[in-house]
Amino acid sequence: MVKTIIIVDDDPGVRYTVKAGIEALDENYQIIPVENGMKCLEFLGNNQIPDLILLDVMMPEMTGWETYDRIKENEAWRKIPIVFLTARTDRIAKDAGDFLAEDYIEKPAKIPELKQRLDNILKK
Amino acid sequence: MKLNFSLSLKLTVMVVLVSAIVIFSLTYINIEEQAISLENVYSDKAVTLSQALDTAIGDHDELTDKQKSQNYILNFSKLNSEILKVSINLPDEEGLKVFVSTDMDSINISSSQYNNFSYENDAVVNIPIHSGNSHTITVITPINLSGQIYGTYEMLLSMNASYTAFDVRARNLVMISVISLFILIFSFLYLLRKIIVKPVIVFRDAAKIIGEGNLDTKIKIKSQDELGELSNAFNKMTNDLKKSRNKIEEYNKILENLLDRKDEFIGQLGHDLKNPLQPLVGLLPVIMEKEKDPKIKEHLNILIHNVEYMRDLIIKTLQLARLRSPDTKFDMENLNLMEEVDNVLTSQKLFLNENNINAKSMIDNNIFVEADKLRSVELFNNLITNAVKYTPEGGGELTINAKKGKDFVTISIKDTGIGMTEEQLSKVFDEFYKVDTSRCEMDSSGLGLSICKRIVEKHGGRIWVESPGKGKGTTFYFTLKSANEKINKNL
Repeated sequence: MVKTIIIVDDDPGVRYTVKAGIEALDENYQIIPVENGMKCLEFLGNNQIPDLILLDVMMPEMTGWETYDRIKENEAWRKIPIVFLTARTDRIAKDAGDFLAEDYIEKPAKIPELKQRLDNILKK
Repeated sequence: MKLNFSLSLKLTVMVVLVSAIVIFSLTYINIEEQAISLENVYSDKAVTLSQALDTAIGDHDELTDKQKSQNYILNFSKLNSEILKVSINLPDEEGLKVFVSTDMDSINISSSQYNNFSYENDAVVNIPIHSGNSHTITVITPINLSGQIYGTYEMLLSMNASYTAFDVRARNLVMISVISLFILIFSFLYLLRKIIVKPVIVFRDAAKIIGEGNLDTKIKIKSQDELGELSNAFNKMTNDLKKSRNKIEEYNKILENLLDRKDEFIGQLGHDLKNPLQPLVGLLPVIMEKEKDPKIKEHLNILIHNVEYMRDLIIKTLQLARLRSPDTKFDMENLNLMEEVDNVLTSQKLFLNENNINAKSMIDNNIFVEADKLRSVELFNNLITNAVKYTPEGGGELTINAKKGKDFVTISIKDTGIGMTEEQLSKVFDEFYKVDTSRCEMDSSGLGLSICKRIVEKHGGRIWVESPGKGKGTTFYFTLKSANEKINKNL
């Protein structure tokens, strides 16, 4: 069964890396790159529910935290696991990430390691 | 008021000593001179009396007539109340002897006293005797007989009358000198206070105020002397100090600002560097996994190695910048040091085995420290990585130990690696310093130990390193606050 993952990041390099890297390692993954929080919410609004959302924190206009809140507000989307993928490594960000999300992964991340962690979450 | 007292005291003692010596010497000399002049007066008087006696006797041939001579001197001695005794000494076979005297009882004493007198010498001899209140003078004058000294007149005069008057005068003199000494001391003390001590107190108080940081203090001593000059110099110094301090404060602000901006810049730069690094770090391992050609795999290996190094450098630089920031807070808890170190060693087991490092912890189970758990793990990881990095490929030993002191626990991490020279020991905690630039350039960011130093210092501890020399291993030490038992502060 194909697993769908949305990657929300304003950096095209990151979006490409995650999509190309994970799909190259495992054909059972389908990565949907999205460039900001609004687009992510639009995507979800079209009733396309992914298996997991990879969310950057520091994005212009709508931050990862805000996007997170908006997703969790919606009854239908609340159960989607969210993983933060961010360059912010200060303590507050890490604590919040650990507390709120399924996982908190620091950039730059090695794709095999990233995939390993996503696998673990999706197995649950 | 210690200054006031001791300065006055020292100067006063000095002045009292000097003036006492001067005044009393002058007084003594004066009295001595007067005493001598008094003796001279009596000597002259005795000579005059002797001449009168000589004239009264007239014919010297009659001197040998004992009865006549005796009558002469007895009558003569009654002429003046100061004459105590008159004798005529004449020579016989043995020498000069007392021939007649108004006081025959003391002949022997008299003769024994003056038998050294040489009558060939026509000098007048004065023998003053002062004992207690009695002042006498014996004056011996020669008797000239047709150009030759024939004998001597010996006259004992009492100087008591003059000396009593002289004593009174001397006593007055001493009294006057004592009084003038006191006047001198008091006027000196008064001047000392007015001219020196008071200004010194003004300076002292001003210096105190300036020391407390008030550089607006001015000294108002306008006297046209060295103290006035000192006061001007002092005021100028204060003014210059104020200018310098203002400048330093200004520069400090600029420096603080620059430091803030530097950390901010490093933070932003690090963050911005992470994103473009993501494709490299992310995809290179994927390509590596997919690639079959060993030649390309070798190239990829070098790429991965360099990208990893860059990633390490960026992450550590960010870490250091964050550790320096004053608003970085630590979550302090009481940690069982043995448990923490065991956990670290377990998590590093693979890495240690790969490098043939036999690591062991000798820490007792009852040592607790007050530390931030995450940071202390980071600290141990950095120090272990460092030790492994500087141990030759053949492998070695790594021993972690801890010693409990009064307030601090000293933790040591000892390796059997390449060791360090004195110069390296002194620089090892500097940012971007690498012990072996040729060998480890690509493996080390040069920031790991700077991070360790920051972490330890933020914990209120101290870190240092010792090495017996090149090739003899290295031991890192650091201290963490000792805690008594495992009570988590957050609970």
